[in-house]
Formats: sequence, structure tokens, C-alpha cells
Amino acid sequence: MSGSRLTIGEVEPLAAKCQTEIEVKHGVGLHARPSVTFTRLAKSFPCSIEVAVNGSDIWLNGKSIIKIMGARIRKGSILRIRADGVLAEEAIRALKELIERNFDEDKKHGRTT
Amino acid sequence: MKTRSMAAPRKLQATGASPGTASGPVYLAERPTLVPMPVAPRASDPGTLAQAVETAVAALQDLADRVDGDSRGIIDFQIEVLRDPTIAEMTEERVSAGEHSVFAWVAAIDAHVAELEGADEEEVRARAVDILDIKNRVLGIWSGTPIEDFPAGSIFVGKDIEPSRFLGHDWSAGGGIVLFGGSAAGHVALLARAKSIPMVVGCDRFDVATDSQVRIDGDAGMVFLDEQAEGLSSAPARVPSQTHAAAIDHGKLQTSDGVPILLSINVNDPSEIDGIGATTTAGIGLMRSEFAVRSLADAANEDKQFRIYRRALEWACGEPVTIRMLDIGGDKPLAGLDDGTGAMGMRGIRLLLARPEIARVQARALLRAAPFGNLRVLLPMVTFPSEIDGMRQIFAQEAELLLHRKIAHRIPQIGMMVEVPAAALMLDTFDNAEFFSFGTNDLAQYLAASARDGSDIRDYRDKAAAAVLRLIAQAMALSAGKPASICGDMAGNPSFLPALLAAGLRHFSVAPAQRPAIGSVLVGLNADGTRAAGD
Repeated sequence: MSGSRLTIGEVEPLAAKCQTEIEVKHGVGLHARPSVTFTRLAKSFPCSIEVAVNGSDIWLNGKSIIKIMGARIRKGSILRIRADGVLAEEAIRALKELIERNFDEDKKHGRTT
Repeated sequence: MKTRSMAAPRKLQATGASPGTASGPVYLAERPTLVPMPVAPRASDPGTLAQAVETAVAALQDLADRVDGDSRGIIDFQIEVLRDPTIAEMTEERVSAGEHSVFAWVAAIDAHVAELEGADEEEVRARAVDILDIKNRVLGIWSGTPIEDFPAGSIFVGKDIEPSRFLGHDWSAGGGIVLFGGSAAGHVALLARAKSIPMVVGCDRFDVATDSQVRIDGDAGMVFLDEQAEGLSSAPARVPSQTHAAAIDHGKLQTSDGVPILLSINVNDPSEIDGIGATTTAGIGLMRSEFAVRSLADAANEDKQFRIYRRALEWACGEPVTIRMLDIGGDKPLAGLDDGTGAMGMRGIRLLLARPEIARVQARALLRAAPFGNLRVLLPMVTFPSEIDGMRQIFAQEAELLLHRKIAHRIPQIGMMVEVPAAALMLDTFDNAEFFSFGTNDLAQYLAASARDGSDIRDYRDKAAAAVLRLIAQAMALSAGKPASICGDMAGNPSFLPALLAAGLRHFSVAPAQRPAIGSVLVGLNADGTRAAGD
């Protein structure tokens, strides 16, 4: 699993709960390609991952492309991401960094959208 | 068509969609296939849906590893949808509620497609096509009939090409694509550019013999047709071939005393119409959809059914096409479905109403096909008017959903088979049937209490013919002048035609091979069934 690269040193993976909040800066929001990048990263972690958009109390499965695309996440949307289980902290950190890196979109295309 | 020089190949200017040149034998996607489909339905276990999904994922993964950029993005998205945990959960919920896994999965996928189609952004709406594509791909794998491939190295020529067909093809031997429709911005164009497959779109329709040579230039957007290879006809591409010289009478005959009679054909395998001229018949009097739907995966495959129904409607050139909804159960089981309890049990419309997930898929395919011609939908094994109400409700609900999704459709005429004696005797109570069609094989077995698959009691059914004819005459008197036809074996037996005419029947539907013989008997009779004077 690609998730193993995110374990830190010799630390045993811990079952934990973790949550963060982040604003989406990406120009067009989470359309198909960034959503795929997001759910694939989420699926690489054993813990459950859920997303709530703009203060909603509906938590969506962060590993489900149809839920993430269906959430209509746009530039300026505030995402709350929570993880529960093994590697929860690492998962939250990795997903937050992915959003901060604009889903690696620039890298993939050598241009900004 | 424009004139052309005798020496040079004919050139067609179109639009380049993927650069490079290619030449090879033509594969004409729209030519009606004359190769009969295997008749035996699949009896073996088709494997699990999960296996079909994984096979599709593996094929997509294999391709994803070989491309990059936008085309890889499309494939990655398709894989991610196939592996979506929400779709898996929705499928499981429906399965535990009693639905068959393939219908449960299709319903989960369709729900998501409908959601995407309703999106504001074009970018999101376009993804619905990608999901429909993988749905068809999985259903094709599951039913053991993957999307038809074409010979390696050939030039695909057609109106359009599905991404999965492109993906499923081995391009290592070269080849290219010419589309009459299509767009340089479409997904297949993206895929073609990624794989360096020359492609031309927006080409004028042309017809060439299969295996004749064609050359395409994807940079200039040109198509070069080999002079000697060009077919006899240019547009339109589809010309039904006629295997025997039949009268071009559109199946409209007259009895000896001048009463109009309609003569149409019964169709089993959808490919049967390929060799028949549409002008020789008053349309299709009975298309048995069990032959278009040979497995549960087919029953779940709306697009496959839609294509078959649409093709029959286009073939008929505006003449009526009567498609009977699935008459499964009894002596016609559907591979993979355990329901059905003999000739007098859960079959025909009873099964369709008990398994609405099957009926809904077929209803959608029929609703979408209806705008392409004159469609009449025939309900099998109707006993009571309430059964027609039940099916009409399904059609109305599915039409509403299609309207919501902005998908073209039309509610067809809905009629009933008259093959259960209780229905025949009460025909005046069926206000909700727009037409009637007599099925004499079942009528005979129920009237004579002798199963149609019991050969040792065949004699009983034959002797019951007089009772069947009397019942038909009584039912005709109750039919309130609505269109009524007969599609059972009795219509194909010349000895019964006088009595059927006397009963008031004016529309006969028979096997294509029987059409000339039955036609010549009918024109020699008077409308009251008596022999014409001097005959």
C-alpha cells in the first residue's frame, strides 16, 4: 500500500481520531480529476475518512468518488475532514497537504487552470 | 453524388481529430450483420458481478498504464467509479432487499448518472457518458458478449465509436478511425491522440464494401476511398438486402372482394430482419424480445436493448413495429433467474410486475426507442386489466424520469396478447389496451388443458382448434373495433384462414418464410372466409 510511506519512523500505527479544516483554493474545485486524486489517497489509508462541506453536518465518505464529486466542492469551499482508525493522523496530514498542493494539478499539466 | 475522376481514388474532406496517416481494410460498423447470433441461451453460471467489475478494472488499468494526460484522467475516473464504496453499499442494500445483484448494481450506477446529468457544469455532465460507458462494458463482460471487436489493422468507419470499444481493440497492428459524427474534442479523440491512432471526424456518409481499402490522413482530415472498392450506393449507408424477390406491397393486401388485409412478420432473432425488405411487410407484428434479451445481464442492459429496438424501428421505415415485452417463465426461462413456475405460474406480465427492476429497464429502452418509428408495445400473458394499469404506471414513471434527465423518449401504444381464456372472454373490459394480438399457441394449451411442451398430448391441442376459433370469434365481437391481429401458429396455417377471416380478423402476422404463401391464400378468399367465385 502506498500508505506505508507515510508511517513515521518506527512508531506503531495507532487507532485514533483526527480532524482538520481547510479552504479549497483550486480554481475549479473538485471536478473529476482532483476528486480521483483525493479518493485514491484517502483509500490508501486503513482508517475511515469523512468530509463535510461548508459547515454542513452531513459527513460524506471521503473514499467515494461519487460522494466527493457530488458534493460540488468549489474554490473557496471550506472542507472539514475527519479520520477515525489506524493512521488517522497521517491520513489527515496527507489529505490536507494534497489540497494545499492544489491536488498536484499544476505538476500534472505544467499549467494552472 | 459529385462526379469523380476515373483514375484517382475518391477524396472526402472531413476534420482531423488525431494526426498521422493510416490505410487498411474498412470495418463498416453500421452495416447490418448477416451472421446469425447463436440461438441457444446461456445456461451456465455467468460468474459474479464482482468478477465482471474486476475484469473491467483490469482492462482499464492495463490501458491507463500505457497513456497519460487527459486520456489517463478519464480512465482513472472510470476505475475509481467501478471501485466506489458507495456504489458497492447501495448495491448490497438492494440485494438484501431481494433484487438480483446485476439490477442492484445498475440501479446504483444509474442513480449516480442521473445526478451527474443534472449538474450545472458541462465538465461534470460530460462524466455521465464515461460512467454509462463502463456500465455497458461491465454488462457486456458479465453476459459473456463483450462489445463487438473489429479486425486488427482495419479502419473503423461508423457514426461514432464508444470509448470502451476503442479501449477494447488491439491497435498494435495499426488502423484508424473515420466517424460520420464525432468531435475532435470528444473522449475517443483524446484517446486516439494519446495512442497515436489517426482519426478523422465529421465525414460525409459513404458506403464501401467491407474489406475494401481506405486511406486516412488525420493531419489534413482527408479520407481516400479506393476507386474500385466503392460500393454501388453512396448515402444512405444502410440498404437492406433482399434475399428473394418479394412484392413491394408493404404487406397491404386485399381479399378477393376488396377488403383490406394487413400481413406482417414475426421476428425472433433481431438479425432476422437483415435479409428482408421492409417494403414487403406491414411492419413487425410480433418481435419476441426474449431473443434480444438472452440473460439477466441483457435484461439489465438498457442500452443494448435500446439499440436492438431502435434498429428494428429504423428498419421498418415508419411501419408499425410491435415488440412484446419479455415473456419469460413457463417454457422460456431466463438464464440466471430462478423465478418462473411453469406455463400456468409466474410468467409473462405476472413476472414483469413481480420483478419490476426487469420491467423498468425494458420500459426505458422502449421509451427511448419509440421516437425512432411507430412502436407498439405488447404485454404477454395478460389476465386482468389491472395488470395493464400496473405496466402503464411503470411506463409513466420511467417517462417522467427520462423527462427529468432530458433524454428523448415517447410513450408508445400499449396493447395486450390475448392468450389467456379469461382475458379473451372479458375483452370488452380492457379499456386500457390500445390493441389486441391473439396468441393461439397458449390459448390452445389453456383451453384444452394440455401443456404445449407435452408432445404426447399434441393431439388434444390440434382437436381443440375449433374451440380456439370459436373463442377468437367471441373475443373479436368484444374488441370494440380496436386494432386486432393474430400472431400465433394458427395464422400461418392456410386451413384456418377462412375461419379467422370469418371471425373478423384483418391483420395476420406470420414467420417471414410463410408470408408469400399466406398472402396468396388470403387474396383468394372473400372477407367472410368463403372461397372467391370461380376459384
